[in-house]
Amino acid sequence: MKEFRLDENEKITSGFSVPEPYFDDFQSKLTGRLADKETKVRSLFSHKKAWFFAAAAVLIIALCIPILTQNSISSREIDKATLETYLSYNANLSDDDIVELLDEKDLQKIKIDLSIEDKDIEDILSTNANLEEYLIN
Amino acid sequence: MEEKAFIQELLNPKTQNQAFQKLLSEYQRPLYHHIRNIVLNHDDADDVLQNTFVKVFRYLKDFKGESKLFSWMYRIATNEAITFINQKAKRNGMTSEALQSKIVDNLKADDYFDGNEIQLKLQKAIVLLPEKQQLVFKMKYFEEIKYEDMSEILGTSVGALKASYHHAVKKIEKYMTTD
Repeated sequence: MKEFRLDENEKITSGFSVPEPYFDDFQSKLTGRLADKETKVRSLFSHKKAWFFAAAAVLIIALCIPILTQNSISSREIDKATLETYLSYNANLSDDDIVELLDEKDLQKIKIDLSIEDKDIEDILSTNANLEEYLIN
Repeated sequence: MEEKAFIQELLNPKTQNQAFQKLLSEYQRPLYHHIRNIVLNHDDADDVLQNTFVKVFRYLKDFKGESKLFSWMYRIATNEAITFINQKAKRNGMTSEALQSKIVDNLKADDYFDGNEIQLKLQKAIVLLPEKQQLVFKMKYFEEIKYEDMSEILGTSVGALKASYHHAVKKIEKYMTTD
């Protein structure tokens, strides 16, 4: 078989053809596309604006963090009335449990509060109708 | 006209339109054929040629004049064409080599291919070459671009280009002889 040599044969072209008016129409087609591109550059919502709004949003959120944190902490605190009601009606605490929670200072204070005058004892004893019954039993 | 002066005309809003018309009339045909040889299909070549000129127009202000305007435009066209074929292959879930083989296999049915048996056989031989050898062969054999210009376009030494072309020719001749 004879060896095929590119340089010994007639030049082979690619074989690709082009539709007839293609190059005549190309310029107007391209000019239209370039005009489109230029219009798109003037987009209202450009990337720069998007970044600006994103940065503003982050800044606002950052500024709100201390306020939100403070609110959430204060809302966790229980007011005295609620605590007292809870302890009175729901808590399963004995006197000993409460005493364990109190320090020496608190206990001293309670002692002072509980000091009763002789006069008060006399009043209670004289006004209590059931006293005799208790003494007998 | 000196190339620098022509670039200034392209950048000046007053002379821009006329200069761009001149650029188009001079380069649209050779760039089209360069792109067509890579992407193989007319509609794809049309898309890539438009993208190429849009990029040329957009980045002309950044053109430093370190290479010739001709080779800068060819470099853009080559990159656009290769990127296009790779993306098209990816969209179709195949390699770019497989896509090009498929296009060449269907060339007979292409309205804008009127090659004979030899031309078709040559296209089938080319598509079997590695990408770089394909490119060098097409630019040298079909487009008759000088090695020095090709070196500036592809950023490869003249020696390496000559070696690529030599290997490509040997493989093609073997294919054309035996198959």
